[in-house]
Amino acid sequence: MHAVWEQLRAGISLIFDANGVILSLTWVTIRVAFVSTAIAVVIGLPIGVALGLGRFRGRRALQLLANASLALPPVVVGVIVLMLLVPQSVLGSLRIEFTLTAVYIVQAILALPYIVAFTPAAIQGLPPGLLAQARALGAGRLQLAALAVREARIGILAAIIAAMGATVSEVGAVVIVGGNTQGQDQTLASGLLDSFLLTAGNPQLIAITIMLVLVLLVLLGTLTLLQQRSGGVNFRFRSV
Amino acid sequence: MHFLWQELRVAIPLITHGNPQLLGVIGFTLQVAAIATVAATVLGVPIGLALALGRFRGRRVLRAAANVSLGLPPVLVGSILFIFLAGNAPGGALHLIFTRRVVFIAQTILALPYTVAFTAAAVEGLPAGLLGQARLLGADRLQLALLAMREARVGIMAAVLASLGSALSEVAAVAILGGNLYEYNQTLASATLYEVDGGNYPNAIAIAIVLIVMIVVLMCGLGLLQQRGGGVRLRFRSAR
Repeated sequence: MHAVWEQLRAGISLIFDANGVILSLTWVTIRVAFVSTAIAVVIGLPIGVALGLGRFRGRRALQLLANASLALPPVVVGVIVLMLLVPQSVLGSLRIEFTLTAVYIVQAILALPYIVAFTPAAIQGLPPGLLAQARALGAGRLQLAALAVREARIGILAAIIAAMGATVSEVGAVVIVGGNTQGQDQTLASGLLDSFLLTAGNPQLIAITIMLVLVLLVLLGTLTLLQQRSGGVNFRFRSV
Repeated sequence: MHFLWQELRVAIPLITHGNPQLLGVIGFTLQVAAIATVAATVLGVPIGLALALGRFRGRRVLRAAANVSLGLPPVLVGSILFIFLAGNAPGGALHLIFTRRVVFIAQTILALPYTVAFTAAAVEGLPAGLLGQARLLGADRLQLALLAMREARVGIMAAVLASLGSALSEVAAVAILGGNLYEYNQTLASATLYEVDGGNYPNAIAIAIVLIVMIVVLMCGLGLLQQRGGGVRLRFRSAR
């Protein structure tokens, strides 16, 4: 136990030394978390609401597909995106392979299934009369969608929490698409995969581990508080 | 498009001609998936049943802990285990780091939360009167657990499926603890990382294709089994 304690001390002091490496990894991680989650929400929320409210053909099939995409291995997504981004390939002219931009994109793709699959589930879990009543009262599609999002906000926030958790802690795709270059596109999580770190008693490994726990606790904790504060289901209709 | 086609043309023969390295990786992956899923089921289902049926102190706390552990990032599990198992740390004497056994252990630990939390949820979701009635009719603990397991089998199968999915596609803990050693303890997912890192794209594509095909086949197969076993049937043996 003594050895671990020593390592822990060394690791913590490495963080407080304002060691440039740990802080830059943290900064990249936070940027990826916010940018990728934001992209996933902007694209995924409308799709999720449409799947939750819509009455079109193929809705069930699409929802099944959204659920299945939750099981997509990040490594496979990484390879597919990389193959599209290498210079000789379809999107090669964008010149973003092995950059932070590519990491944003691939993490957004991995976060998307959470939003698209959990949003319809949250909307379909609303009290059955609620949306029908709004429809009967003459709400337009947009009003209906806004109502559904407001009432299902707890479930939708849960989806966003899950999505952000994935953007922070997934590594398979980040390593493949970003190339895992320190100071450029390496996150705390992908930093842990760097093989030169994997030596016994390496304080840097411990420092990164501690920082990753902190980042996850702070980001997901804040979102969870927000979710709790947004409270139970309250039925508020504007008077027509 | 030409580039993608070219890479695929090299990749597909690697699969169809049974490249020995690829076969080795497939074999090890199946071994990991089987061991981790079976171990997680054997350990996790009884724990899940106890959490759902038991009436002991701290049950709710343990139940919440099971749910939280679902969100535990594999990278963290990997790096924390590494810290405790490497060199002269307390677990160093076990000499597990960079072995095959540690891969089995890591994937079991990562699969366990699914079987525990989902089994508990499935049992809690049974019709409210069912287990109470069995209790009243004098079922003892074991009978009650068996009844709960039989009635919640669809949910429990889903738990097993989820644990299998994680054992197949998780890569972080495998890479950190096993060291991602060529032709020794690489799974399909970690071998993909290895091949991309070496710039060997056709190999990476071939492995990624095998991985996704394996996941789809195993998931669909077990999913069908789950559907066949489906429906809540209330059958009680006549009491003597």
